[in-house]
Amino acid sequence: MPDGSGHMQPFLDQALADSASVPGAKVDWLADLRGRGASIYGDRGLPGRRDEYWRYTNLNALGKNDFELANGGPAVDVPALPHRAVAELASYRIVFVNGRLRPDLCVLDDMPDGVLIAGLGDMIAAAPDRLEPVLGQGLDLHEMPLAALNTAFMRDGMVLFVDAGVDVDKPVHLVSITVPGETPLMLQPRHLVVLGDAAKATLIESHIGSDEGAYFNNLVSEISIGEGAELNHYTFQEEGPAAVHIAATALNLAAAATYDGFLLQSGGLIGRVETRAILNGSDADCRLDGIYLGTGEQVLDTTTYVEHVAAGCRSRQVYKGVLDGKARGVFQGKIHVRPDAQQTDGHQLSRALLLSPRAEIDTRPELEIYADDVKCSHGATAGELDAEALFYLMSRGIPAEAARRILIEAFVGEALSEIRLSQVAEDFSAHVRNWLSANITVNTAD
Amino acid sequence: MALLEIRNLHATVDDKPILNGVDLTIDAGEVHAIMGPNGSGKSTLSYVLSGRDGYEVTDGEVIYDGKDLLEMAADERAREGVFLAFQYPVEIPGVAGLTFLKTAANALRTHRGEGELDAMDFLKFVRGKAEALDINDEMLKRAVNEGFSGGEKKRMEILQMAVLEPKLAILDETDSGLDIDALKVVSDGVNALRGPERGMLLITHYQRLLDYIVPDRVHVLAHGRIVKSGDKDLALELEAKGYGEFMEAAE
Ligand SMILES: Nc1ncnc2c1ncn2[C@@H]1O[C@H](COP(=O)(O)OP(=O)(O)O)[C@@H](O)[C@H]1O
Ligand SMILES: [Mg+2]
Repeated sequence: MPDGSGHMQPFLDQALADSASVPGAKVDWLADLRGRGASIYGDRGLPGRRDEYWRYTNLNALGKNDFELANGGPAVDVPALPHRAVAELASYRIVFVNGRLRPDLCVLDDMPDGVLIAGLGDMIAAAPDRLEPVLGQGLDLHEMPLAALNTAFMRDGMVLFVDAGVDVDKPVHLVSITVPGETPLMLQPRHLVVLGDAAKATLIESHIGSDEGAYFNNLVSEISIGEGAELNHYTFQEEGPAAVHIAATALNLAAAATYDGFLLQSGGLIGRVETRAILNGSDADCRLDGIYLGTGEQVLDTTTYVEHVAAGCRSRQVYKGVLDGKARGVFQGKIHVRPDAQQTDGHQLSRALLLSPRAEIDTRPELEIYADDVKCSHGATAGELDAEALFYLMSRGIPAEAARRILIEAFVGEALSEIRLSQVAEDFSAHVRNWLSANITVNTAD
Repeated sequence: MALLEIRNLHATVDDKPILNGVDLTIDAGEVHAIMGPNGSGKSTLSYVLSGRDGYEVTDGEVIYDGKDLLEMAADERAREGVFLAFQYPVEIPGVAGLTFLKTAANALRTHRGEGELDAMDFLKFVRGKAEALDINDEMLKRAVNEGFSGGEKKRMEILQMAVLEPKLAILDETDSGLDIDALKVVSDGVNALRGPERGMLLITHYQRLLDYIVPDRVHVLAHGRIVKSGDKDLALELEAKGYGEFMEAAE
């Protein structure tokens, strides 16, 4: 449905029609926030080639389909979590099926004082005042048109509040399961994480979907980390093969805060994860790492923007991709150093392994630096498996496919070795092995 | 029947002729040395025999153990018992040396119809061989060749050979870059593997190695052809006279 300016704004009518009946419709600040989201999205439309950071990831398919807003719907059979080690880990678990909280699947007993884990929908109904100072505060909707769309629709998601000084005793596991029916589904989850000063938490996210059926998961996470607080954040993006997964994460770090993020992307037909990290307080530490595994006609896009506002902060990004078939990888990363951010230490590295001649990577690293006393770097490599190493392995009797596999596992293994939570590392490795088994034919017998 | 028979072997790299008619026969139980100046085609011969991509055989044939060697892929040749100790062993970050060696050993065992060794048995087996080569556990634990000195890499090559127990071992300048103590260790390792079933092709630039590993035959390679063959005394003659006259003979 193009408007006068010729761009597409699918979903907008639905959001507007919905605005009177949505939970919290009568809460003024919330209605205003949703309205602002609708109007920014209305102005911008679905991002496309004219948008600087959307050149490589085409969303036109979204405009052609009719998507129905997911609302939990009838009880569906929920597939088992593919992450065995994490599933067995003692954790607080909050589960969403088709976009809505499923209290029956959650494990949220005995939460310690100072920790709140709840559904956003419940919070809107019961305690909107607690949301007002934070919801929508951590991100610039003009920079993220689909986060604006999410804002227009938002009604459920996870709220994680940790009071100052509290160390959450177990990891928090956010599980999103999507099982679409005949009609393609649209999900607009909104997650909110606020750590008070010196608080500590570990958050694991699993995004999984059933094998069939199209859906559009457009999620937004606002994460705010207080002074000296620490968040370890691990994400599995393993959506169904016909899914479009668009995630926007807005990170705000106060002085001496630490964020350690690791993302595994391998699901969806299109997967795009954009992280905007703003280092507001001095001496903050931000790590954004990840691996992506693409095959078939997948497009997997990692977009980062790290803004050093305060002095003496460190940021480090290492992304590694393995692309087979006709898959396309996108890495766009920008480090922006403001004039006051002296002694910034900012590094970024993108490495891609192309296993097939038709696989492709588009890389766009950027440094924009306005302070003079900084250490910043970026680097990008893309290439095939090292022929010398391959020959060396084969010259010892290791079959070609097994040798390829050994080298690919080594390539991603380096990144996985830095993950601190062993269960997460184990599940990431298992996923990589399964992916290789499914996509690389291994022939050990001759 | 000869273990290895190379007949009139011609090979090119990027259309450039490097081997120009190599003839060489090695019987089981024999150690042959190939000597020759830099650039004469020694490494090329070793790569053609082990099946590296990019080397095109334009004429001739190689019969190994009664089979057409050139028909086989590199990994197949290795499983059939061909081993190359590289002149420049390859560093492979992120691949644990022990895991690599175990994968290789088990691929060979499976091929021979023997059962695979589990991690514990394999470690014991390797440790036994490593000790004789002055290779400690710390070296075994590292990634393949990563951060090793030149001499350490050469010792690791010999360890791999000892573990994989090839029928035909090709050692490409295993002596280069070794000090006298390391040369002794490596030579002892190689000599320990000499046996009636096994053939060896020692490629070297210097006569020195042949004091420690005494060959049955010595060949001089120049301009991609064997221009002279003899017994171990040929190496001494070469050492005294240099390659000059052989080079001229090959022109
Ligand atoms: N990959 C290659 N591409 C082009 N020329 C090569 C390549 N490998 C070897 N050569 C050339 O082939 C000749 C023989 O090289 P090599 O077999 O390495 O000799 P040696 O081991 O006896 O020193 C040299 O002239 C060398 O430059
Ligand atoms: Mg050489």
